[in-house]
Amino acid sequence: MTGGEALAYPVRFAGDTLTLNEAAPGFSDEQLGKARAGEAAALASLIQAHQRSVYSLALRMLGTRDLAEDLTQDVFMQLSSNLKSIESNTHLKFWLRKVTSHRAIDQLRRRARIETMPLDEEITPSSTVDHGDPLLQRHLRLLLLNLSPPARAVLLLRYQEDLDPIDIAKTLDMPINTVKSHLKRSLEILRQETPNPAPVRCEGKST
Amino acid sequence: MRSCSLRIFLALLAPTLAWAAPNPRLALPEFAALAQKATESVTITLDAALLAIAGRFLDGNDPQDAAAKEVLKGLQGIYVRSYTFDKDSAYQQADIDAVRNQLSAPGWSRLVETRSRKSQANIDIYIMVTNDQATGLALIASEPRQFTIVNIVGAIDLDKLHKLEGQFGVPKLDIDLPKTASPNTKK
Amino acid sequence: MNEKLESRLRAALRPVAPRDEFTRDLIARVAADRRSSFDARSAHGRRPRARGWWLSAGMAASLLVAAGIQHRLQERHERERGLEARREVIEALRVTSQKLNLVYEVIKNQSSSPADDKPGV
Repeated sequence: MTGGEALAYPVRFAGDTLTLNEAAPGFSDEQLGKARAGEAAALASLIQAHQRSVYSLALRMLGTRDLAEDLTQDVFMQLSSNLKSIESNTHLKFWLRKVTSHRAIDQLRRRARIETMPLDEEITPSSTVDHGDPLLQRHLRLLLLNLSPPARAVLLLRYQEDLDPIDIAKTLDMPINTVKSHLKRSLEILRQETPNPAPVRCEGKST
Repeated sequence: MRSCSLRIFLALLAPTLAWAAPNPRLALPEFAALAQKATESVTITLDAALLAIAGRFLDGNDPQDAAAKEVLKGLQGIYVRSYTFDKDSAYQQADIDAVRNQLSAPGWSRLVETRSRKSQANIDIYIMVTNDQATGLALIASEPRQFTIVNIVGAIDLDKLHKLEGQFGVPKLDIDLPKTASPNTKK
Repeated sequence: MNEKLESRLRAALRPVAPRDEFTRDLIARVAADRRSSFDARSAHGRRPRARGWWLSAGMAASLLVAAGIQHRLQERHERERGLEARREVIEALRVTSQKLNLVYEVIKNQSSSPADDKPGV
């Protein structure tokens, strides 16, 4: 049995009012139309535009690159079968996040605790911008893996995908109060488990 | 005259009968103190009005929604209290006993009692049957780090509840419900 | 203090790209899948937008004439309430089915190893 059986249906959209981020840069509604019509180049652009979000969500939910790649592939294969029902780029993003989150949670519920490898193999674009302490960031990502699957999904949708609690509730089919409870409790746990950076001391050293 | 006396007698008796009628709705505490300690808490209170509203927003073309819609038919309420903790024994059995005691009231009978040493889960399912129809269900599950109380009020179809497995992210297990009096809710 | 943690979380959770090789394989697989299941009927017109938008737009037009913007706000509120009620139903049924599943597991295990689990019916 694969994790996909519980989700072999088109994701409801029905014109819900969503406040999601707009389309990934470089991917327009026009290209979506072409992808729906079966144009290969447009389909490739769709995957390139959205795979980072899907893959990152899968990776941080499941903890290993192999599982994340499998899930990412499953999601896009399922999307390919359901493209006709996708109405807009907003709907597409909603669909991808929803299906990825639900499938990851399904997988985690079916498995015993997965032995996760540290996420050293994450590929990040080289950048001269200082994004902070990489060790602390790695520590936070590992702490995330200790949260329950629903709590983890809530946190990722909030801080990776930048969704507000209402949109998270819609994406995960979760009552809004449960979303807020997960956010509050998970942040408390992360705060308790995250060391404060020690003040930097300058000591004279002879070389 | 006799029929008049009989009517008066029945009218006087009616309040007593009404008081004695079993109530499938349990009085569930809010468990505020436990909710504070819990890492996850689920508190759901859906009366008949809210279930009707929810039913309008369930999509019959969606398998998950369609399954939910089927289960909701004939229900008057769904009430859930579920708390998960990050360590064992964070809650007391006394916390649950206030609910469990209500299930020794007339009308309730225990359908299933499971004690698992493997998962350390104790799960009891109670049912209320009125005129050969299930009118209430109560499920109490206590595990080392979680307890859950579910109370469903209304015309419950156990077969439909059983068919929930496989939906909602719960894997299918190919086993049958225990053969008990599973009232046919068809009218 | 929360803001600091939140900004650290955002930094830690910046999306990352999969391997280039994976991306190439994925694109090829999806394209092959599309080719094999391409349906000529996908050329027909766009699916009409959900009825809900029609009702809202139609109602908004007539209500604006009747100065009924308040009614539209109320409808939106009820819709949100309905969607939230739906989510609660799904969650309640999920919790219930999860616990039923535990019961079924015990019953199933009982048939294979009676010593560990004890169902009573």
